[in-house]
Amino acid sequence: MATRKPGDGPVLESVYSVIALVFVLVACAELCGAATVVDVYRLIQYDISGVPFGSRLAGLNHHASSLHFPPGADLSRTVLVIPVRDLNLSYVKDFLSQRQPLGGLLFLLPQIFSFDSKESTGDGEELLKNIVMELEKFLIHTNIPYPVYFAFENDDINTVLADIKKNDVSGQPATATTGGYKLVVSTAEPKKVASPIMSNIQGWLPGLKADGDPNQLPTIAIVASYDTFGAAPALSVGSDSNGSGVVALLEIARLFSLLYSNPKTRGRYNLLFGLTSGGPYNYNGTHKWLRSFDQRLRETIDYAICLNSIGSWNDELWIHVSKPPENAYIKQTFEGLSNVGDELGIKVGLKHKKINISNSRVAWEHEQFSRHRITAATLSELSTAPGLFENTGNLADSGNFVNEAAVIRSVKLVAESLARHIYGHQGKNIQIFADEGSLAVNPSYIRSWLDLLSRTPRVAPFLSKNDPFVMALKKELEEHMEEVILQNEVLDGIFTFYDSTKATLNIYQVASVTFDLLLLLVLGSYLIVLFSFLVITTRGLDDLISLFRRPPSRKVKTA
Amino acid sequence: MTVFHFFNCAILTFGPHAVYYSATPLSEYDTLGTSVKAALVYLGTALVKLVCLATFLKVSENESFDPYQELLKALIGFIDVAGLYFALTQLTHRNISQNHKFQAVGLGWAFADSVLHRLAPLWVGARGLEFTWDYILQGLEANANLVFSISLAALGSLMWLRKNKPKSLIPIIYACAGIVATMPSITSYLRRGLGWHFPKVVGFELFTSLAMAFISWQLFSACQRPSA
Repeated sequence: MATRKPGDGPVLESVYSVIALVFVLVACAELCGAATVVDVYRLIQYDISGVPFGSRLAGLNHHASSLHFPPGADLSRTVLVIPVRDLNLSYVKDFLSQRQPLGGLLFLLPQIFSFDSKESTGDGEELLKNIVMELEKFLIHTNIPYPVYFAFENDDINTVLADIKKNDVSGQPATATTGGYKLVVSTAEPKKVASPIMSNIQGWLPGLKADGDPNQLPTIAIVASYDTFGAAPALSVGSDSNGSGVVALLEIARLFSLLYSNPKTRGRYNLLFGLTSGGPYNYNGTHKWLRSFDQRLRETIDYAICLNSIGSWNDELWIHVSKPPENAYIKQTFEGLSNVGDELGIKVGLKHKKINISNSRVAWEHEQFSRHRITAATLSELSTAPGLFENTGNLADSGNFVNEAAVIRSVKLVAESLARHIYGHQGKNIQIFADEGSLAVNPSYIRSWLDLLSRTPRVAPFLSKNDPFVMALKKELEEHMEEVILQNEVLDGIFTFYDSTKATLNIYQVASVTFDLLLLLVLGSYLIVLFSFLVITTRGLDDLISLFRRPPSRKVKTA
Repeated sequence: MTVFHFFNCAILTFGPHAVYYSATPLSEYDTLGTSVKAALVYLGTALVKLVCLATFLKVSENESFDPYQELLKALIGFIDVAGLYFALTQLTHRNISQNHKFQAVGLGWAFADSVLHRLAPLWVGARGLEFTWDYILQGLEANANLVFSISLAALGSLMWLRKNKPKSLIPIIYACAGIVATMPSITSYLRRGLGWHFPKVVGFELFTSLAMAFISWQLFSACQRPSA
């Protein structure tokens, strides 16, 4: 048997060097983690009279890059991952307005804007809130021909982003030939939402009609719109706009139903509660709801109070009206509210904005009432009228930024002034809804509803016909009053919406082609070395050399 | 590119078996039949081991190292040795020298082991988009396993087929055979009890396989000398 001692040394060394090369490969390429899966929320896609806005695509299958990409790089097959925390808004605006071809955009939002976050807010968060609001305003009104997604920061994504930044800074952008991260979202292409439905819920609390009195009782209406609109419809919870209004309406309904349940304390006014939809779209739902009113009902409505964003104010509220302040009803309402406000330490201001009939833009809900010739006013913390899709439940309007105490105070304000008007106690210092009595405002009721609203995105086109949340609102009103009607209307034709609002993003770390080729080379040489080693040790060096000479019929089978 | 990666890992896992067969005189003596028979015996042994494991072993909730379970697993691992004994001694082989018999049996054994344990994960996992080092490490492990199987087969043939052995070497032979046979338990202890990571474990396996191969080679040639 041939001894392996002579040929041993160099052959063994080559085996070791192959192993060493493999370890060098290991050291060069970074060790990777498993694939990451993240929930992402798509930017809204809609048309106004055929003009497209928002992100027009949904599917994504490109390499990831950060903002530190080498200048002049081709980005048509890359996705830019941008954390909102370090956002340079003017840079992003320029970049988007230049309409450069891009594979996609992924914005990373801080956790404080998510549903479950319970962090406290401070100055830094106010700054972030403003940045997010500005970014959102810009994105909503721009036509973007590639997918734009929002995701929340978490540890996995942060490590991936740090890795991507490191790769970019070293001048090695992720493409098919160099390694890196690949972002894949596999969803179907977005389709139009066929007939977006707006559901208005109305509740009727009848007043005490004296026997023998043929006249109809006057009615007071309290209205709030409950649906939202934002850059990411799946995240549009609108805690302040208008979750606070909805919660306040429910609490006022509860208090008055308690009062009206006993005929001795039932007032001589009917109360009409309205939870309307279609708020962001020029209060289209309110318009359709009012249009469906009986003429007699419309005539009996003394006035209406609309609640809009009353959840994050400190000590000042505004009453917005469209009829001139000299109007008797307006004066009465305003005085009532400001008297109660003085007692509660709230400053109530009055703002008058004339309606322009030719302009289709409806900024406040009371303007729809005024167009139907019903006196109305809106109570809000906002001092100026919001523009189209502003303050309609944007990304920054999450549960963290709404103040439960403010909602409670608003409820006290509205309920007291209403009650004093209904029972004729204006100007008297009587507290009907005192804090320790049986008619006190219930903080836990408000807290639990506010919490629920902060977790439920309510963009009207994406709510189905019998959406569970709308049914829940209806059921809640039914608990407090007998006649509750749900009315479904179709959203007006100038707005078209497209679905696909939520998806899952898969992040893969891929190896480059060069790596695979290198590995093939290494393995090939390993096998060749192994082969020669085995031939030399078992058959002798001559056999190896003779293999290459290939003399004919060399192989002799021995029995 | 991911089918490429699968191809790379496949040649790393199964290439050395083919290379071994073609490089050594095994191909000249046409010992394929022996290897195939050894592979079939391995399959049978694997089935028996599976049944025993299912019957006697408790499923543990956590990944910790339980000495009694590991002892039980090691005992069941000796069924492997019994299978190898069967393949070496009981099967009828063509008239090939002992030298080549153990190599062929070891080769068939290791090939069946690789196919059974590593082909399915490779096919399912290595073709995905995500890149991990796991499949390359698994291939290296397959290589180490090949060397272990051949060493075990060599020691086995020394123990059961060779009649005249120098007395002094017998305990060493049995000791080495014992170590190689319990190698799976040792690696499992390293991974779970000491918490070593996969690359470290594979490195250890490669190193020990080369060491054991060297030792068994020495033992084999030492036992050759008296009868040579």
